[in-house]
Amino acid sequence: MLAAPTRTLRALPASWARRRQGTDPLSVTLEKRRIYILPSRFGVTFGLMILAMLLASLNYASSLGFALTFLLTGLGLVIMRHCHNNLRGTRIRFAGARPVFAGERAEFQFSVSNDAPSQRFEIVLSAQGLDTDARDLDAGESQRFGLKVDAERRGVKRLERFLVMTRYPGNLFRAWAWVHMDASCIVYPRPAPRGRPLPFDTGGEGSHGLEPGDTDFIGLAAATPSDPPRRIAWKAYARNDELMVKQFAAGEQQARMLSWDDLPELDTEQRLSQLARWCLDAAERDNAVGLVLPGKAMPPGHGHRHLAECLRVLAIFEQAPER
Amino acid sequence: MTAVASKPQDDTADRLIWTAGVAAGASLPHWPNLPIWIPALLGAAITWRLGGAMFGWRLPKTPARILLAVAALAAVLAQYHTINGLQAGTALLVVMVALKYLESRTARDQLVLIIIGYFLVFASLLADRGALMIIYLLGFVWFTTVALLQLGRRGCLRPGWDTSKRALRLLLQALPVTVILFLLFPRLPGPLWGIAGTNTSGSSGLSDTMSPGDLTELGLSDEIAFRVEFYDAPPGPNQLYWRGPVLSNFNGRTWSTDGPSMRGDMLDHLEFIGEPIDYRVMLEPHGRNWVFALDMPQRWTEDRGIRMESHFQLVRLRRSIGSRFDYELTSYPRYRAREALTDRQMEYYLRLPQNSNPRTTALGREWREQIGDPREIIRRALNIFRTETFFYTLTPPPLGANPADEFLFQTREGFCEHYSSAFTALMRAAGIPARVVTGYQGGELNAYGNHYVVYQSNAHAWTEVWLEDEGWVRVDPTAAVAPDRISSGLSRTSLAGQESRGAIRNLPWVRQAMLVWDAAQVYWSDWVLGYGPETQRDLLESLGIDRPHWAKLVTLAAAAVLLASGLLALYLSWAYRWRKPKDRASALFARFCRKLERAAVGRRAATEGPLTYGNRAAAVLPGSAGSIGTITRAYLKLRYEPGASPADIDAFARLVRGFKPASAR
Repeated sequence: MLAAPTRTLRALPASWARRRQGTDPLSVTLEKRRIYILPSRFGVTFGLMILAMLLASLNYASSLGFALTFLLTGLGLVIMRHCHNNLRGTRIRFAGARPVFAGERAEFQFSVSNDAPSQRFEIVLSAQGLDTDARDLDAGESQRFGLKVDAERRGVKRLERFLVMTRYPGNLFRAWAWVHMDASCIVYPRPAPRGRPLPFDTGGEGSHGLEPGDTDFIGLAAATPSDPPRRIAWKAYARNDELMVKQFAAGEQQARMLSWDDLPELDTEQRLSQLARWCLDAAERDNAVGLVLPGKAMPPGHGHRHLAECLRVLAIFEQAPER
Repeated sequence: MTAVASKPQDDTADRLIWTAGVAAGASLPHWPNLPIWIPALLGAAITWRLGGAMFGWRLPKTPARILLAVAALAAVLAQYHTINGLQAGTALLVVMVALKYLESRTARDQLVLIIIGYFLVFASLLADRGALMIIYLLGFVWFTTVALLQLGRRGCLRPGWDTSKRALRLLLQALPVTVILFLLFPRLPGPLWGIAGTNTSGSSGLSDTMSPGDLTELGLSDEIAFRVEFYDAPPGPNQLYWRGPVLSNFNGRTWSTDGPSMRGDMLDHLEFIGEPIDYRVMLEPHGRNWVFALDMPQRWTEDRGIRMESHFQLVRLRRSIGSRFDYELTSYPRYRAREALTDRQMEYYLRLPQNSNPRTTALGREWREQIGDPREIIRRALNIFRTETFFYTLTPPPLGANPADEFLFQTREGFCEHYSSAFTALMRAAGIPARVVTGYQGGELNAYGNHYVVYQSNAHAWTEVWLEDEGWVRVDPTAAVAPDRISSGLSRTSLAGQESRGAIRNLPWVRQAMLVWDAAQVYWSDWVLGYGPETQRDLLESLGIDRPHWAKLVTLAAAAVLLASGLLALYLSWAYRWRKPKDRASALFARFCRKLERAAVGRRAATEGPLTYGNRAAAVLPGSAGSIGTITRAYLKLRYEPGASPADIDAFARLVRGFKPASAR
């Protein structure tokens, strides 16, 4: 009962910061006015210790007691300044996120740069309560931080907000900045379990023997680094000491389309899942396939790039382009 | 994938070693005051826990730890019967450190130990103020701060030396705030609550009883009793009698005070003669309420609770002197204490216990009958000390049941206590009201600090006799035997029975060093140890702030702290500002251009490229055309061709350095 209002309350400062700061560009330098700082739990304990020392010094009228009390007070204040400064001027750049399948974790890459001539310590990125490791940045150094976020549903996963924070030095304070970048990650539909054969497969399910496309061998060509190893003509390599790939004519001749209409008994998400599975299966066997969706079609093709494009089409199917 | 996804290596043992350093170092100063089992417990806990981390020893499970905690707490209670107060509290803290260390698992446990570490340092500061200890504690605060930086890290630990430098920098940057708060934070004159178990009994000082003959060796402590700053010329050494407790109760062996009693304003009985002496006394804590003053004080600092009790002795009312106590006085070395004695008082100051010291009593009676005149009796007694074989020694033989008899007629060796005691007894027997006054005599001038130092070894006892027409008069029988002791009161060596120590103290450079050290201690005491409500008021007055309200002080302190903090922020943003990396090649080329400029080529125009400028220069200086061309081409190559190595720039630097323009045509 109380959880909901508490959550709303907790989200208040963040949403206030969002309104205040607006959406950040994909590369942002943390300015003074957007860095917030509060004592950590240990910092509060440290403060209570100072208070106790102050009372005892007053009571014993001990000058040396006062001296230590105030030295530690000063230390606390200096540490607060250093903690704030440790973050201030840090540059954060969104460095992309590889597409993932729904149910996996998306990893948003950020490049954090220290342009200052001094070191920065213990920088942590955090989103949705999950922190990265704390890392030190040498003067002028940049490092990649990977922020992992659960991607439950297909589509475009946006990182609403993340924190850049530090507790250095001494874990007395926690300084942080909210960053709202337009960082997104494509989340492919979760592939359906293996089992349903490709619609153009004539054989029974899971036929892993000779496949039709493989039989239409038309010759050999010089290999390029992007060719899958399965297609390399190892026998020819043994003979000629030259890498060659086998060329097949299958894909070009039979336009094999994976169609939305092949799966009438399934609902939208299930269909997309199954189509994704088929795309993967076809890519595994290096069959050239195309996609036919309501209002969208992909011409047949093969290779990684084509597969990624097909999966992307499935991912953003019927999704609003921008929110 | 993350670029560097290395898991932080396991540094549990390193962290535990840092924590162990804090635990051991913080408790070390307390070990001498703790029962032996507490340091032993701490050592065992550290060994056990470290063994667990490094060699996989089995650590105690939770029930065992709870049992241990209860047992340790019970043991502390049994030892001290309380957990309140400095001693018991410290013992409890050290026990807590041991238990916490044993169970420390997380970073939070270790940080808690750091807090306790700071607290133990704090407790040491409350208890001990020796210079060496303070140096140790300062160093240890540094160490603990390094540990704080290390253990506060989430990632793996950094190199110790680098972190030490950072911690030192943080502490130095904290100094301004420390000084501001130290000077401006409102100081309160009294304790907030009762202080349990403040231990000052161990410190040496005068006592309220005196039993000559009990002590066979006077403890000559080098401890400082108080320091004195004379505002004008100091009085002569034979006038430096610092009046302390007056002992008028005699049981035959022991003199004791009759407790402070107030009897109207004693100043009414005093008549001051001659020039006043204004001075300030910085009294070290001695745990009693006596306030020492040059015989005879006429005026003293108000509002300090100082009163003159019935023996013209100054005391602080209600509170003993548990911390350094500063006060200002005016005294007159010449005075008359014309106090009229009632019959009861007369009887009191003449009282001698029956059947004790019979020979002394008999001699006194004899003198009273034969001589009669008190002055003559006093003269006769002093004459005996002066002319017969009496020795002044700090290691006298012990005396029995009738110390005055034995001293006067047998041993004849002793120090001030023996002389004043026997003399006072003799006076009483002769019908002259008399009492023993204790205090200090003399003092050592410290030219560096421009003040006198009075040591515990300056402790002295003399006699006051009451004469019908003059009142109380000081008589110092010791002076009759050892006039050096009094006249050279500035030098303590004549007093020093322990020759070896005296000899070392007499080496000129040792003396000098000790004087400088003492002067430093005075400044330290004045501005650090003794900084309290009064000093603060003086400082603020000198700054033009008169008797400020505490709220005003707090505001002032807060403003100053904000200012200091703002300055630090400015410094930090300067230190972290982005700096353009220095381009060595263009700096070198600029230098080359300056050389040409001086050689009558003229300034390089803003629109002139390096090549054009080089050609123009070659035309003006045909003798150097070759080298000018080489340098210009080398510069362009550095500028526009990729892959210039530092070696190339070094070669370019050599070219520029070696270039000497030929004289113009």
